[in-house]
Amino acid sequence: MPVLEVKNVMKAFPLEKSQVTVLQDVSFSVDKDEFVCLVGPSGCGKSTMLRIIAGLEKADSGEILFHGEPQTSPNPKITMIFQLFGLLPWKTALENVEVPLEVHGIKKETRMEIARSYLRMVGLEGFENTYPHDLSGGMKQRVGIARALALQPEVLLMDEPFSSLDELTAKTLRELVLEIWRDPSLPTNTFVMVSHNVEEAVYMADRVLIMSSRPGRVVGEVKVNLPRPRTQYLRDSKYFQSVDEVMVILEKSKGEAQVKSQID
Amino acid sequence: MNRRLIGYIVGFAVLVFAFWLVMTFVENPEIQSLPYYTFRTLLRITVTLGICVAWGVSFGILASTNKTASIILVPFIDLLQSIPILGYFPAVIILFISLFRGGELAIELSAILLLFTSMAWAIFFGVVGAVKGIPTNVMESAQSFGLKGSKYVRHVILPAIVPALISGATLAWCDGWFFMIAAEYIEYAGTTYWVPGLGSFLAKASYVYGDITLSVILLVLITATVVYINFLTWHRLMERATAGTYKPVLKIDLSGVGQLGVIKAIGPRRWLHLGNRIHWPKSLTAASHRLRKYTRLEKAIALVLALSLIFLMVYLLVPQVSFDAIKREFSSYPADELVNLPSYVALTMGRLGIAYVISLGVALGMGILAAEHKKFAAVFYPVYDIGQAVPILALFPVLFITLSRTFGGVIGLEITSIVMLVLDMIWYMFLNIVSAIRNIPSEIREVGKLFGFKGLKRITHVVIPCILPAIVTGSILSWGTGWNTIIFSEYMPYGAPTIYLEPTTINQTYMVGQNFNVSLYVSDVASLYTWQTQVNFNLSHLQCINVSEGDFLRSAGETQFYEGEINNTSGSIGPINSTLLESGRGVNGSGQLAIINFQVLQPGNSEISLSEGKTKMLDSNLRIIPESKVYSLPGLGSYLDKTGYLYGNTVLLILLLAIIATIVLLMEALVWRRLLRKFEKYHAEV
Repeated sequence: MPVLEVKNVMKAFPLEKSQVTVLQDVSFSVDKDEFVCLVGPSGCGKSTMLRIIAGLEKADSGEILFHGEPQTSPNPKITMIFQLFGLLPWKTALENVEVPLEVHGIKKETRMEIARSYLRMVGLEGFENTYPHDLSGGMKQRVGIARALALQPEVLLMDEPFSSLDELTAKTLRELVLEIWRDPSLPTNTFVMVSHNVEEAVYMADRVLIMSSRPGRVVGEVKVNLPRPRTQYLRDSKYFQSVDEVMVILEKSKGEAQVKSQID
Repeated sequence: MNRRLIGYIVGFAVLVFAFWLVMTFVENPEIQSLPYYTFRTLLRITVTLGICVAWGVSFGILASTNKTASIILVPFIDLLQSIPILGYFPAVIILFISLFRGGELAIELSAILLLFTSMAWAIFFGVVGAVKGIPTNVMESAQSFGLKGSKYVRHVILPAIVPALISGATLAWCDGWFFMIAAEYIEYAGTTYWVPGLGSFLAKASYVYGDITLSVILLVLITATVVYINFLTWHRLMERATAGTYKPVLKIDLSGVGQLGVIKAIGPRRWLHLGNRIHWPKSLTAASHRLRKYTRLEKAIALVLALSLIFLMVYLLVPQVSFDAIKREFSSYPADELVNLPSYVALTMGRLGIAYVISLGVALGMGILAAEHKKFAAVFYPVYDIGQAVPILALFPVLFITLSRTFGGVIGLEITSIVMLVLDMIWYMFLNIVSAIRNIPSEIREVGKLFGFKGLKRITHVVIPCILPAIVTGSILSWGTGWNTIIFSEYMPYGAPTIYLEPTTINQTYMVGQNFNVSLYVSDVASLYTWQTQVNFNLSHLQCINVSEGDFLRSAGETQFYEGEINNTSGSIGPINSTLLESGRGVNGSGQLAIINFQVLQPGNSEISLSEGKTKMLDSNLRIIPESKVYSLPGLGSYLDKTGYLYGNTVLLILLLAIIATIVLLMEALVWRRLLRKFEKYHAEV
């Protein structure tokens, strides 16, 4: 049984006096230990999809199943990291990681210990008492990752986690995320990432889902069969083949959308 | 469009009908002048607004584009802004009256100047903020296309400041209505100066006629007029001026709320609905500019300016710039209360503190509810909009009269004072809090939700930390406006008719054996039929020769006057009394009751006074006319009132103003600036 199932999700937002359909009949599933990536043009609703899975927004119709159970509100087993990190600026790095533990009523001593160990894991030892404004973008995202892992979730959702970082930092963080994904000692091993960077998606994911915009639909799926770790395959033709495959589907859906808007 | 037009016409018709109703059914000798008063007040505020805009735009552009001008202007304006306007008003009046030798023009000009000083800042700081907010890329591209000088101003600066100008002008307009009552009706050193207008009429309704019903009716009428005009002008202007703003952060999304009919029907005061959006730059611009760090040079220049300003005021306002004159002012009344100054400061700060805590608590609760729950917002925003349009200063006498009936004078005034402060302070807090809550970044909200913060925990862990900087800016604005209100609200002259001696002081020196006159006057009396009083004098220096009747009471018919027993061995005359002979008659207004002739016996200073508790006045129905009683709470505000308005002691007034300005600036430097710097440091991220 898949860990996550997205079934016929529909979502529309009111815009001025009309409604804009952001997601139309989106269905897919994610298996255990799988790394799935959603790519698509901006405005295709991929971030909304992720937020519906996280329970931050409600779908107008359709459902999210987690281990077969319907899912409507935030669940500690499913957590998320944000594009702009979402750190609470009035809390130190350590306190930020403590936040989810605090909500779950874990004692101060214990949660400090847990938070410290996760900060160490993401390579932020020595920065425990630093406030977010004194951390670089990459370090902030490391805090975000540590915070997400603190409650030992099963599913990690990532909303364009590297797109506000410079390429070098992004590269290091991608490796960190893949390490966490592969680490058998951590329970967090089902990953869903939203990205608009096709190379990134192909490099990281087992499966890339391509979405079209307005209304957002899943228009294609590309399985990436490159062996891991993939660092050595970055110049390989197989890698470029997968990238091209994704690109072709993206272009095609874009063409269709243009034709459709011309007809309209 | 049509619906809007119909709205205007219906609104106008309702207003006209309301005016007609009031004019027909309210009994008051001045009620027929109501349209004229409305026109005068409108004209006054509009003219002042025009001056403010001209001044704000020119000086604002100058201060924001020219470094030297900025170094001189900004600290100077900052200083002026930190002194409560109502405090330096007596000084303004005395200046104008001495410049124009009295007359209506002098009072009109001082009213306009007071309005100006209360209206100008929002525009100035709005303009400065908007010009500074022009993005570098826009400036650079303008430069690369060769836009310079006046062309640069016309094509880049003016379009950029339009939204700030409009919202600043809206604020100014509303501040104008707020201070109108204080500007149009002024009691200074025993004399009442007033200019025809709604504010003075309202003041007279409470102080002279003691007519609560009329006060309330006028209050409602004024509020309705303000709301209508806001709806007619600012609302429309704001809608047009939205496109060109550079800073989206100034706009707050209010989707859901803006769609309510109620809120669209009434003109918002400080909320301007831009479709679904709201524009409110004051906290961001004014506060950030006030709190910007000064360089050492700027501080030095500010200090020099402050000193020269004080010097200039002393020079202009004390006609005899001699050390003796200043010394005399320092030793004359109410300088004897200077020993109480520390306790006055403590009491006033206490009142402000209590009002601040109440406003903060209520505004926080209301703000969170309004920002988080659309149902509450539907109730709060209309309340807010109307509440904003009520000229709060005008509420003061009404509130006091009502409360003093239940609680008695002093406690009534204490409650009134705090209620007034709360009513005044709360809007700034509320507005800042709501806009800050609405501006909480969505990711922070989502983090709170994702990790399961709910209810109170969400508010204490996510919402409040996030809005702390806004609470600080709201606090600064609240305290600023609070200082203004406290001057007004600690001191309540109530029940207008007074019998008093004129002149209050005789500056002329008389030789031994010379004679001189002192008059007994009555002010603001309605239907006076009979009066009685007793006068005391210093018998070692003076003796009373005779007492004769003045022409005031006689203007209504024949009187019977009794000059009283002149006792030159105990130094008293009295009881002096006079009564009309024909029953049912009475005189209205102010005038001379009696003339007392004295002869100087010996050199020295002498005091002539009315015996306390011996004055009585009856009206034509032989009811006792209550004599003026001043309720005053011990505090800095009432002390300043007494000094400035009652005794016209300019030297002392300047001293008190300097003390208040020091407290304000100290609080800003020690409390607010530090807090803001601390919060802004980590909130730069948000």
